[in-house]
Amino acid sequence: MASVVLENLTLGYAGRPAVWRLDGVFAAGKATAIVGPNGAGKSTLLKALAGLIQPIAGRTRLDGVSRRDIAYLAQDSGIDRGFPITLDDLVALGLQARLGLFRGVGPAERRALETAIAAVGLGGLEARPIAALSGGQFQRALFARVMAQDSKLILLDEPFAAQDTRTIDHLADVVRRWSAECRTLVLVLHDLDLARALCAETLVLAGEVVAWGPTATALTPETLKRADVLAATSAVEA
Amino acid sequence: MSAGVVIGDLALRSAAAGGLALAFGGAPLGVLLIARRMSLSGDALSHGILPGAAIAYLLAGPNPLALTAGALIAALVVVSLSSLLARTRRLPEDAAFAVIYLSALALGVLLLARTAGPEALEALLFGATTALDRGGLLLAASAATATLAALALFIRGFVAESVDPQFVRAQGGRTGGGLHILLMMLVALNLVAGFRAFGALMTVGLMMIPAAGARFWARGFAGQACVAIALSAASGILGLLIAARLGVEPGAVMTLAAAGLFAVSGLVGVNGGLARSLKPSARL
Repeated sequence: MASVVLENLTLGYAGRPAVWRLDGVFAAGKATAIVGPNGAGKSTLLKALAGLIQPIAGRTRLDGVSRRDIAYLAQDSGIDRGFPITLDDLVALGLQARLGLFRGVGPAERRALETAIAAVGLGGLEARPIAALSGGQFQRALFARVMAQDSKLILLDEPFAAQDTRTIDHLADVVRRWSAECRTLVLVLHDLDLARALCAETLVLAGEVVAWGPTATALTPETLKRADVLAATSAVEA
Repeated sequence: MSAGVVIGDLALRSAAAGGLALAFGGAPLGVLLIARRMSLSGDALSHGILPGAAIAYLLAGPNPLALTAGALIAALVVVSLSSLLARTRRLPEDAAFAVIYLSALALGVLLLARTAGPEALEALLFGATTALDRGGLLLAASAATATLAALALFIRGFVAESVDPQFVRAQGGRTGGGLHILLMMLVALNLVAGFRAFGALMTVGLMMIPAAGARFWARGFAGQACVAIALSAASGILGLLIAARLGVEPGAVMTLAAAGLFAVSGLVGVNGGLARSLKPSARL
């Protein structure tokens, strides 16, 4: 099982810290929700875990998983939906790390792709160009790509934002399945009910750690209020 | 004058062969560049290779091999510098590219004006002659072969880096690294193969316009690449025949022929062509 240890981690852009001196552990084999007000540094923290931004100070330490095996789903993937590839091609990007530059998609990989696409409810649409997918179908396709990566550490940034209830229900089931498979999950979530439903652990973040532990004790009206106050103060200072 | 007589002409035959080679090498690259929203980078690169050609001219005179080598080295320098500049994340990639290639263009113009006179500059930008010599043809054929081989080997990497660079970076891959430079060098190689006969700018036209037109016929990358090759080859031959009739340099006519085929594609293409969108029931 994979875990991530934060050691005195300070993150920011252009030298301005957005997240200060985080210490803690994303527990192995569990799902952790990161919640907090806008500007709390949630996405920044996730990007740092994915290795997309370098810390200003401190570090992240990976246990049981290598950097290139992390599955990261961005809040806005920035993918050009007009790009001339099919759903199948998009999901197959998830195999990239395993296949390297040259190896082709063999029978085992083909089965993994089919399983992933079926699991998100898109079976039969493999040959459809991504331009012809609806917003919900596209997000499902990105979930299938995460599944194809078969990673022990999965990072999801607002994975349910702007999705309809049916899609959220379906994708939440996929997340539960990943949890049951003892993968380590870190999800940035706005919806607190989803955080309670899906995540055993919660980190309430507001530039610094407000609370971090089992969801029942960390995610309370008091900790949320404190996060709001902290965010408002730092916004005034900024 | 029948087409048979025209094609019987040796110079025209060479030019047609060169045009075909460019179609096979350049057009699929055009599809990839358009897909990654870098349609203008070919244009930029065609300017960027100028100082290399100029320095080669300065050192070796109008020696085709030296010109080619000079242009390729200049392309490598321009691509690497803009890639480095973009990687500092202080500038978006296209802005970095603009800074580097415009500087290179100015340097090339100055060098060429000092060493070879303005005619050489014009010849380089717009093409000098219908005659491609043996070496030129060989270069064009090699460029096409190298491009198709590289695309076959690296297409997954090219596509991954183009469609979702953030994803590639999160997997420990580097964007703007080796694959990106390889892609741009292939573009440069095809430009170099075409620029003495058809002109650097017009060669870009034969690379990009058919690729844009192909979007109206096919949705997948492979389909678009094949259509782009066909459109580019047709524009090349059509342009050569018309240019021979008019008695003008073929580069511009070939590009206009590509524009004409693009317009036809936009009108009647099966994938989002105007005629289709006017009749939504036609889809059923």
